[in-house]
Amino acid sequence: MLFFENVQKRFGALVAVQDVSLSIPAGLITSIIGPNGAGKSTLVNMVAGSYRVSAGRILLDGVPIQSLPKHRIAHAGLRRTYQNIRLFDGLSVLQNLEVAVLPGALGTVLADVLGIRATDSRRIRRAHCLATLDRFGLAGLADRPAASLSYGNQKLVELARAVVAQPRALLLDEPAAGLNHAETDTLRRHIEALRGPDLAIVVIEHDMTLVMAMSDRICVLHRGRKLAEGAPAEIQAHPEVQEAYLGDPGATHAIAAAAHARRNQVRVRADRSVAWHRA
Amino acid sequence: MTSETRSALSIVRLRRPRLSRKLLLLAPPVLAGALAPLFAAYPLRIFDLVLIYAMLGMGLNIVIGYAGLLDLGFVAFYAIGAYTYALLASGQFGIHLPFLVVLPVGGALAGFAGVLLGIPVLRLRGDYLAMVTLGFGEIVRILLNNLDVLTNGPQGVTRIDPPALFGVSLVSPLHFAYLLLVMATLVFAIVWRLETSALGLAWAAVREDQDAARGCGIDATRAKLFAFGTSATIGGLAGVVFAAMQLFVSPESFTFWESLVVVLVIVVGGLGNLFGVILGAALMMIVPELLRAYEDYRLLLYGLALVIVILLRPEGLLPRRYGPGWLFARLGAR
Repeated sequence: MLFFENVQKRFGALVAVQDVSLSIPAGLITSIIGPNGAGKSTLVNMVAGSYRVSAGRILLDGVPIQSLPKHRIAHAGLRRTYQNIRLFDGLSVLQNLEVAVLPGALGTVLADVLGIRATDSRRIRRAHCLATLDRFGLAGLADRPAASLSYGNQKLVELARAVVAQPRALLLDEPAAGLNHAETDTLRRHIEALRGPDLAIVVIEHDMTLVMAMSDRICVLHRGRKLAEGAPAEIQAHPEVQEAYLGDPGATHAIAAAAHARRNQVRVRADRSVAWHRA
Repeated sequence: MTSETRSALSIVRLRRPRLSRKLLLLAPPVLAGALAPLFAAYPLRIFDLVLIYAMLGMGLNIVIGYAGLLDLGFVAFYAIGAYTYALLASGQFGIHLPFLVVLPVGGALAGFAGVLLGIPVLRLRGDYLAMVTLGFGEIVRILLNNLDVLTNGPQGVTRIDPPALFGVSLVSPLHFAYLLLVMATLVFAIVWRLETSALGLAWAAVREDQDAARGCGIDATRAKLFAFGTSATIGGLAGVVFAAMQLFVSPESFTFWESLVVVLVIVVGGLGNLFGVILGAALMMIVPELLRAYEDYRLLLYGLALVIVILLRPEGLLPRRYGPGWLFARLGAR
């Protein structure tokens, strides 16, 4: 379980996230939605250790992680994917996954270098990575350089890399961005298949159809505050959410269409117009 | 498990070289050792230089080729190794330690210096790291030039003891050829081991995308410190042998130019490829000797060669993927 306790983030005078408390239970898919500028990315970056919180705590299974360095957060059991795919392009698909399960302890690393009992554990790690790739239907691509894969498959590799270390919390930052309908469906099946009693899944997504179909719970952020929280049906019926975010019924479709059309260069703005810019 | 996975697993298994295949890598040095006595002193001296630069290249390759950090001050570690031998085995202070004692001391001192340099500068990336390391290389040289009490300043250290191994005094280029063949082979084996270890994979991840690597649980700072430390140690070892071979060291031997030559060895030969580094060292040492008549144009020719390589073979003459791993896979496929 991932727990935000009165989390706040200020950039100078700007308050990006204000006093957000939120619990993300294991076993469910929780989506965080909100117009751009609502503080979703800031929240993600704080969990993953890219930003420091200004106040409050973030607990992963009861352990505070808000002041740990990034790699320690990863070892504490939190893994993520990125809005723009960030694979190790020059490495093979299999190696991309192997990186995620490298031992963290200095002694183990040195034992591996010196070849002490390393061969077996490395073989086990590798077999585990292959089995994970197999779950995502990517085993046949294991030896290909990651950069040579199609966009949709790269997204899947990134997802596989995030889950291969068997995290306790999984952070998916716009998993469907840039994917076509078929690819989105494949991705959705894979994400839904990840639901398990020990894994808290957080999804940040603009594709409302996907969010409504896939989420068990939804949290709406608006101007750095938590506006609403609940099951998809409750959120859709929530008057404040409709006013703040969904507005007229057509807006949902506009946002979903924009999310499908873009390849990471387009952002949906709070004023519901679509703005193009290079990432 | 699908049939796809099984085939993928078999590929993985093939990638694991068996000992017999690894031993094949001993063939070139053994062959070179067998042929060495047939050559005169002059070509052997060049051969020795090739091996020294191959060692330097393999060392620096860890930082540049594996971890992806541009280090332009590598000569500093070479100098530390060389001066360690010069001061601990000469009449300078009347200390005459044996070669085999100084060798690890020189390597350790250089490695320590590498870690010390790494701690502050590894926050920097790319060009900024290059500038700071370049500065470090120059600082070490200027220090050697001015610390008269310790290093005898620009005059350098003379009267260095000729090294002895197991009672045999190493005096001829042939002796050093054997010593260097053994050392270069060991360095090759160690660096190759590092490349394929967990540490090597961590280096590759940091090189490809440092932030994503951190997100995958890799302590990027520690990985980079290890790269700096091991690379500097190898530079120090090469420096000890260099001093023992020349029997004279002076700051002149450790200018920025030397750092650049080692970078060129890697870039021309093939970044991140040990075979490439050896090829690069051979080319960078042998070609200038062949063109001795045109020595005045050496810099011009180096520049020209570098531009041509970068235009035509941007990954170097032997790209990364054609390294020892590729060779093992090919041998295994037969």
